[in-house]
Amino acid sequence: MKIGIYFCNCGCNIADKISAEAVGKAAISFPDKPYLEIVDFICSEDGKLQFEESLKLEQPDRVVVAACSPRDHEATFRRCMTNVGMNPYLLQMVNIREQIAWVTEDPKVATEKAIAAILGAVCRVREQQPLEKKLLEVCPDALVIGAGPAGMKAALALAEAGRSVVVVERTPFIGGLPVRFEDLFPSLECAPCMLEPLMGEMLHGDFPGTIELMTLSEVVAVTGFYGNFNVKIRQKPRHVSLHECIGCGECVEACPAVTTNEFNSNASDCKAIDFAFTGVLPNAPYLKEEICIRSRGEECRACKDACPMGEDVVDLDEVEKIVERRIGSIILATGARLYDASSVEGLGMGVLPNVFDALQFERMLSSTGPTGGEVATSEGIAPAAIAIIHCVGSLDDAHKPYCSGICCQYAFKFNHLITAKLPATAITHYHRELVVPGKAAHTLLNHAVKNENTTMKRFNSVTDLAVIQDATGRLQVSVKGESAPADMVILCPAMIPAEGSASLAALLDVSLDASGFYLELHGRIDAAQSTVKGVYLAGSCQEPMDIQRAMLEGMASVGHSLAGLQPGRMIEIEPITAGVDETHCAGCHLCITVCPYHAIAFNPELNVSRINAVLCHGCGTCVAACPAGAITGHHFTNAQIMAEMEGVLK
Amino acid sequence: MTMQTDSAIFEPKIIGFLCNWCSYAGADKAGGMQVPFPHNVQVIRVMCSGRVDPQFILSALVKGADAVIILACHPGDCHYKEGNCRALQRHSMLTLVLGQLGVEKERCRLDYVSAGEGEKFSRIVTEMVESVRKLGPFRRDLP
Repeated sequence: MKIGIYFCNCGCNIADKISAEAVGKAAISFPDKPYLEIVDFICSEDGKLQFEESLKLEQPDRVVVAACSPRDHEATFRRCMTNVGMNPYLLQMVNIREQIAWVTEDPKVATEKAIAAILGAVCRVREQQPLEKKLLEVCPDALVIGAGPAGMKAALALAEAGRSVVVVERTPFIGGLPVRFEDLFPSLECAPCMLEPLMGEMLHGDFPGTIELMTLSEVVAVTGFYGNFNVKIRQKPRHVSLHECIGCGECVEACPAVTTNEFNSNASDCKAIDFAFTGVLPNAPYLKEEICIRSRGEECRACKDACPMGEDVVDLDEVEKIVERRIGSIILATGARLYDASSVEGLGMGVLPNVFDALQFERMLSSTGPTGGEVATSEGIAPAAIAIIHCVGSLDDAHKPYCSGICCQYAFKFNHLITAKLPATAITHYHRELVVPGKAAHTLLNHAVKNENTTMKRFNSVTDLAVIQDATGRLQVSVKGESAPADMVILCPAMIPAEGSASLAALLDVSLDASGFYLELHGRIDAAQSTVKGVYLAGSCQEPMDIQRAMLEGMASVGHSLAGLQPGRMIEIEPITAGVDETHCAGCHLCITVCPYHAIAFNPELNVSRINAVLCHGCGTCVAACPAGAITGHHFTNAQIMAEMEGVLK
Repeated sequence: MTMQTDSAIFEPKIIGFLCNWCSYAGADKAGGMQVPFPHNVQVIRVMCSGRVDPQFILSALVKGADAVIILACHPGDCHYKEGNCRALQRHSMLTLVLGQLGVEKERCRLDYVSAGEGEKFSRIVTEMVESVRKLGPFRRDLP
């Protein structure tokens, strides 16, 4: 086997400490008697040319480059080898600059150490094998789960880029949580004015790509991997055709069955067939089967008969459907919800009248809500005093240890809106901390603290607070015994992951953090990627966040999807991965338990583990774990590592 | 495992398994900062400390090393999420077995060096060399 050693002087950086001549002399006794060529700056244009010309002339079987750190220039020299038709994985670098010349004072010692390291590399490179990158066809299309701000932004951008997007939404409508709000912090922007154009584009936009929206749907199975996922989606029957319904509401009028409306926090009634709320998009009602009197075996077709658009719009016999789609990447945008404030004891949630959580109060403020936007107690009276309690379950080890980040801002929004509607009403903010970051949030804070009817009271622990009803029936809010009356109490509970996040995580093999939010691949440099390749995170399913950040994250996740998967372009699979020798695999599953990337699957028919090279990151943990020695870590094989070790110890 | 008796300073041979992302970069950082450290450690680069098979360590000792050091990413910082935890588990198990065979725990050390910790890398290597110097050469002729 012909081996070439290329020794870079790196000007005087290496040459001052390590004698190329001594290395050359020593190399004569190395295995396979490698030839040595000295280059002044091998990474320079001239150096690379000299390297490539020499490779063409000498035609070595293996190459050792003794120079700087492989973290600097391994890719450079691999490229040179590819340029002359050599397999780039037949290269081994020796880091004689950073790890020897620059840190060893005595040139004689440095030269000796370099000779040993180069011998190690020669021994190793003899064991190296040519490796090839594999190419894989991929589907560039995407699945977006959740049609809130983050999901909508992602879907629209993907469609604009020409991708086909499947959007799966659990509720009967799009827009997520904020579509139920009237005004938004930090500037009291009208929420419908901001969101409706986006929602309109979701439903009727004209893009190079397509958006297939499935409401009342959820993902029930996912197979495959990055670039090639197959998903099964369960579509609950809406019983109303989205394509044909004109949203006139005749069917709602005709429906005899009444229930409370969950989308108005059950503070108003609705029919079995009804809109989720006024102004909802898609502008079509849906039928709640469990409320419809047909579910009790009664004959009724009032809604169908009332429809002016014909027989086919309301389909009373529609049944659940399972549809399958092939996609390449998945964007999780399942959002967040409020922590149940009744689990924070002593604040009266669910027990006392006129204690509301923030979402209930948002609906009260909304002109499409149960009171038509009027701030009123359950007795229908304008409250003279309102208490707003921040940090309900947030920053609290007994509940949720994190700050929910947005509550202070919407609490001061409430202050502003209450003051606008009821200027004489006294408002007290009970807060543990105040969090109003960014360049715009202080405006609402300043407005509140300058308002002469506003009082700020700080508490140390939510357990110091109590909300009670006094003998007159009025609410009293006390902090460590000091109490003040209130006619209405608004609680700002912690934000927690949306319902179903954990089961979806289990379905996708995505990891959750300690609070149940989806875990990022890396909290700072890869916060839009989940722990599973090709599954991206957007919006408050990752952590509590406002609309601005959710929209940005939606775009960030699209960036990953577009950059990784392009129509007509196959993805390259790095050859530095692990592979199982199935004849030696005992089927013990140990590799599967140690793999951090869920890249190893078990084949029960053959009783062997199989590694998916697309998902494998080449860390080698499974290689070290395999008790049968059945797994090879390509380019870091036992033989290669052992040979290097023996070489440096000679 | 006797102490060296001759007066010449014993220069131990140490194999260092460094992970590509943190500790190997930390060693490069020591170089970039030109912080000198003893020459005794020969570095073997692996992608992850989780790749270090306990048999590499045994083999190093058998083939002439006086000690082995594994340098991983700090807990929680592993490029491969948890490879360093596997390295720690295997190291704990191996030092237990080595101890039963009479091999001092100083001959097999695991520590954490980030990509920015050039000085820490230099300090750990210096400490390691000193501690192995005190133990003397690793004797392979014991039963």
